[in-house]
Amino acid sequence: MTGFFSQIWTVIKMNVLSLPQRLWMSLAAVFAVSVVVAVLLAFLAMATGFEETLAGTGADDVAIITRTGSQSEVNSVLSRNTVNLVSTSPGIATNGDGSAVYSAEVYVIVDGIKRSTQNEANIPLRGLSPDGVDLRSSVSMTEGRMFEAGRNEIIVGAGVQRAFEGFEVGQQIRFGKTVWDIVGVFSTGGSAFESELWADAPTVQGQFQRGSSFQTVRVRLSQPGNVEPIREYIANDPQLILDVDTEAGFFASQGKALSGIAIFGWTLSVVMGLGALAGALNTMYTSVASRVREIATLRAIGFNNSSAFFGTLAESLVLSIIGGVLGALFAWLFFDGFSASTLGAGFTQVVFTFELTPALFVNGIVMAVIIGMVGGLFPAWRAARVPVVSAFQGGE
Amino acid sequence: MKDLYLVFKNLTRKPLRLFLTVFATFIAFMIFGTLGAFQQALNSGVELSADDRLVTINKINFTQPLPIAYVNRIRALDDIESATHLNWFGGYYQEARNQMGMFAVDPETFLVVYDELLMTDEEKTLWLGNRQGLIAGESIAANFGWKVGDRVPVNSNIFSQRDGSTVWDFDVVAIYTGEDEQTDTNSVYFHYEYFNETQSFGGDNIGFVGIKTDDPSKNESVIKAVDDMFVNSSAETETVPEKAFNKAFLDQIGNLGLILTSVILAAFFVILVIVGNSMILSIRERTGEIGVMKTLGFTSSRIFRMVLSESLLLALLGGTLGIVASGALAEAVNQAPIQLPTLVIGQSIWVQALLFMIGLGLITGIVPATNALRLNIITALSRD
Repeated sequence: MTGFFSQIWTVIKMNVLSLPQRLWMSLAAVFAVSVVVAVLLAFLAMATGFEETLAGTGADDVAIITRTGSQSEVNSVLSRNTVNLVSTSPGIATNGDGSAVYSAEVYVIVDGIKRSTQNEANIPLRGLSPDGVDLRSSVSMTEGRMFEAGRNEIIVGAGVQRAFEGFEVGQQIRFGKTVWDIVGVFSTGGSAFESELWADAPTVQGQFQRGSSFQTVRVRLSQPGNVEPIREYIANDPQLILDVDTEAGFFASQGKALSGIAIFGWTLSVVMGLGALAGALNTMYTSVASRVREIATLRAIGFNNSSAFFGTLAESLVLSIIGGVLGALFAWLFFDGFSASTLGAGFTQVVFTFELTPALFVNGIVMAVIIGMVGGLFPAWRAARVPVVSAFQGGE
Repeated sequence: MKDLYLVFKNLTRKPLRLFLTVFATFIAFMIFGTLGAFQQALNSGVELSADDRLVTINKINFTQPLPIAYVNRIRALDDIESATHLNWFGGYYQEARNQMGMFAVDPETFLVVYDELLMTDEEKTLWLGNRQGLIAGESIAANFGWKVGDRVPVNSNIFSQRDGSTVWDFDVVAIYTGEDEQTDTNSVYFHYEYFNETQSFGGDNIGFVGIKTDDPSKNESVIKAVDDMFVNSSAETETVPEKAFNKAFLDQIGNLGLILTSVILAAFFVILVIVGNSMILSIRERTGEIGVMKTLGFTSSRIFRMVLSESLLLALLGGTLGIVASGALAEAVNQAPIQLPTLVIGQSIWVQALLFMIGLGLITGIVPATNALRLNIITALSRD
């Protein structure tokens, strides 16, 4: 039995060590697999990065209240009266003085010049109430200072600054007729809030002729994840036509927006993978053909035919795994951390970074192994059936 | 003619290798055809924009409203054939995911400014006369199964009626088609008056103005006249050619062109390497034969041409099959209920594909052909 395995091992070693003799054909197979894996991982990293960004945006202990059916913040409209009513609902946490922790927010879309396209694109300008900043976890000012209530002052999310031109601290920016001072840059640890501009809610209402209307209300839940008391309260008051959801739930559903990209990436790379498979088969058949005499000679001196089979299969797998690792490395070097932005569910740009997680890396290697496996199987079958007599025939 | 026969024989002597290389080429060209058509479809909104059409939006952003009074003031300017206004309605049918491009418009001027939407005069009259009438593009109508004469309820995710309901009832009075195969027929239009009288907030505002100028050469002066007129008003405007507006809108999604082009290039690069290698190998295997042919009096240049023809034939074979397959794929996508402009594998894709096939054939053939050209008879025949 040990003889059986040592024979296979010997042939595998022979095949792999002789790869440089078939250098160009082998490189072609490696290259084809690496491109397929790189393409797959690039698309998956894009979809994952977007999803993670939005998943990291919502908190479980914050609820978001919008007008029924509005689906996104920008479509919702709430009157001052509605805000006052809903903020007295049970289930909302209170400050030290007994008042509810909530932030009525104005959400306006403004233009900025996107660096990547040099064209105008939508950025959300969010007007926050005093509790608004505290309702977001881990907000930190990376530059400058917080805006002051009652003044035309804006702080800029780190993502906006990365993706758009003209949002440096100290600069002024015009929205229509109004002029705003950029006084600071904030970070929220990579969440979608970094794709926003923040200012004081009453100031935004005033400057954008919004009267006393808001888009959404955020409240701190007294019990994380439990919006039922608020839902019940809304249901019992015919004046309130509102939807309530935890912020986490609200943003998680928006994160699925790019799941189509992942499907596209899979479809594309499977199709390209078929092309690479043709390349791998070509390489391996050629390899077997060039080793016919060697294989037959081994059989003649007593090697079993499984050794030829596994030797060929191993060669194919080695090539495809090298290709897979190279492709993944390429994707990691060029795409991991790559910053991009696209139109999100709020009809504004969401700035996100590509994320090549270990799980995705495994996907890439699995893809490579499948190509190597199928691409090696048929040629290996042929190798196993090389007749011993070929060892004594001349020529090819 | 005789040479062509030899080329054909050479090509088919190893059927398995022929199949594998043709298959790899097929895959690459199928990807090219499909993604190329997709890219063209995305760009069709930009390509098909009318040169004499402008869009006036709120300078802050196109989601900010403009007062309806602006439309008449714009109409009074020189060099303007007509101006109309449109409001995004946020309409969806039955389920929130059935979102559609739905606008409240002024029908009479709308039909003048957007004259690429085709319907009969009778249908136009019907629409003008029915305040609850809507017109739907043939593509969206097919998606939802709407027919002329249907009464359909449509939800808005932005507006609500005065009674709090978000559902409006409409009569489908016409299903319009597009002037061009790729004209967008995924949109729905209805009377602004019906909208303005029933909705509960933001009255007498409009989303944006569509302007048709007398001539594209007047565009610049009209743009200046419009924007100057509203400077320092509560809602300053930004007027741009429709093409620029559509381009900016498409760009919001991201640099799709770059992504698609990179993918196509990657696919081509892969087959270039696979096919190129395979060609070099198969010519090397024939070294002895080529020596014999040269001995028999085949000139070197004749052999060079034969090898090159072989690689060209290979590329043309796989490439043509690939584009034909992408045509079938595009047809399948067009039949599917997806809100996407029509995919067309048209002349421009074929021309580009042919150029790529010839390029691929030449590049993969040039090295082995040159090797064959330079091959010395003595070395060729003395080789094992």
